[in-house]
Amino acid sequence: MFHPEKFIEKTIASLQQDIKGKALIAFSGGVDSTVCAALVNRAIGERLIAVHVNTGYMRKNESEQVQQMMKDLGLHARYVDASKEYYTALKGVEDPEKKRKIIGEKFIRIFEKVAKEEHVKYLVQGTIAPDWIESGGGLRDTIKSHHNVGGLPADMNLTLVEPLRDLYKDEVRKVARALKLTVSERQPFPGPGLAIRIIGEATPERTRLVRDACDIVETEIEEAVKKGLMERPWQYFAVLIPIKTVGVHGDKRAYGNTIAIRAVQSVDAMTCHYSTIPHEVLDTISTKITNVLKENVNRIVYDVTNKPPGTVEWE
Amino acid sequence: MVRIYVIDNGGQWTHREWRTLRDLEVETQIVPNTTPLKHLLDEKVQGLVLSGGAPRIGLDSPLGNCAEYLEKTRFPILGICAGHQFMARYFGGTVKPSKVPEFGKVEVTLLQDDVLFEGVSKTSIVWESHNDEVTKIPKEFQTLAKSENCNIQAMHHTSKPFYGLQFHPEVEHTEYGEQIFSNFVKLCEEHAP
Repeated sequence: MFHPEKFIEKTIASLQQDIKGKALIAFSGGVDSTVCAALVNRAIGERLIAVHVNTGYMRKNESEQVQQMMKDLGLHARYVDASKEYYTALKGVEDPEKKRKIIGEKFIRIFEKVAKEEHVKYLVQGTIAPDWIESGGGLRDTIKSHHNVGGLPADMNLTLVEPLRDLYKDEVRKVARALKLTVSERQPFPGPGLAIRIIGEATPERTRLVRDACDIVETEIEEAVKKGLMERPWQYFAVLIPIKTVGVHGDKRAYGNTIAIRAVQSVDAMTCHYSTIPHEVLDTISTKITNVLKENVNRIVYDVTNKPPGTVEWE
Repeated sequence: MVRIYVIDNGGQWTHREWRTLRDLEVETQIVPNTTPLKHLLDEKVQGLVLSGGAPRIGLDSPLGNCAEYLEKTRFPILGICAGHQFMARYFGGTVKPSKVPEFGKVEVTLLQDDVLFEGVSKTSIVWESHNDEVTKIPKEFQTLAKSENCNIQAMHHTSKPFYGLQFHPEVEHTEYGEQIFSNFVKLCEEHAP
């Protein structure tokens, strides 16, 4: 069995050995990076600097909440708003692998810059097993390049420290609970963020649409869980499909985009079953999204694909 | 504590096999399929899992030293997906692209009792991910399970403790996955000197 207490003890000891001097941690505010930050903080204390990058592809109010979290955890923190840079870098980019690689490289360049200013040699990442497994390499096929593994530039000059490499999400959650971190049950959110929930070019305008749609899906599903209408999914969100279909809005022709609702049950993200969302909940989500985004979205679909053959995210 | 290593043929779920064994308190490691047999014997390994592999690897690739393991060892070996297909090829069976490849949820039916399936119900849900399959079973093997689109979902050598599974017992969504692994671990314990 996996023993979180033993893992914590062993990891802190080896982090103290491995990190000589200061370290940066890439802090997204998710379970993996928060657990990592807490462990490294225990190991080297003030020598750790947490960096949160706002890529412009974060969810509603997410970067504000993450900054508050870093404060609450007592981390020595830095915040970098790089949204404009990311939007420029992804201009005209449609290929999902290209998106992931551009985002991964940009993260590293930003960390390198902060590292130079702070005289740091180590970069701590909350990489977990599915990240390096799916990124491929050697005999293994590349399913998708996770930004923190397959998206790393070859010439990066920081030494990587990845204490959670052999863990799956359910095990990271166990460690989070043992460390009494409130983030332990937070749903996963990919590093490339909303950029990979937009099929095709991830423009600022499309990002706004998918951000609003994700917010509605999250809010309505959490509400339904609270009311006992359904089990809480492992992950639940919206995907923007920029394919236009015809609709009718108050006796007028509409011609707008499509949003897919995606929710899955899983334990470790290596296999998933799609969640069965009750029709009344789907109905509310559908109506809210099409009303709030009425200028741009007039069709909602529900993704019923397992993994395999699908993956959780669409890109 | 029994020692079972996972031979990495490049599958997406190799690390899950390692995790399942570790959760069963087995002493385990993932090692490349190029690991010399001598090294495994020096480490006093008591069983092997041959992992699944990258696309089409089961069809014609030599899978490192897997042939040597099958030729020279006496301890139990469990081949999964590409590992299973390789086992069939090694003993003279045939592997071909599937007419209907299976991905995700599939129901399998057990065809006969076997220690590997002790405690597993006659029909159960398993998770699949394969483009190829064993179409002709080797002479010394028996078929243990099938699904609607694949006739050889599980097989067993009639005189050696070698098993092949087309489906993936290591993933969370396979209903009796951990039970099957636990049966395999028991088998390795019984064979241990």
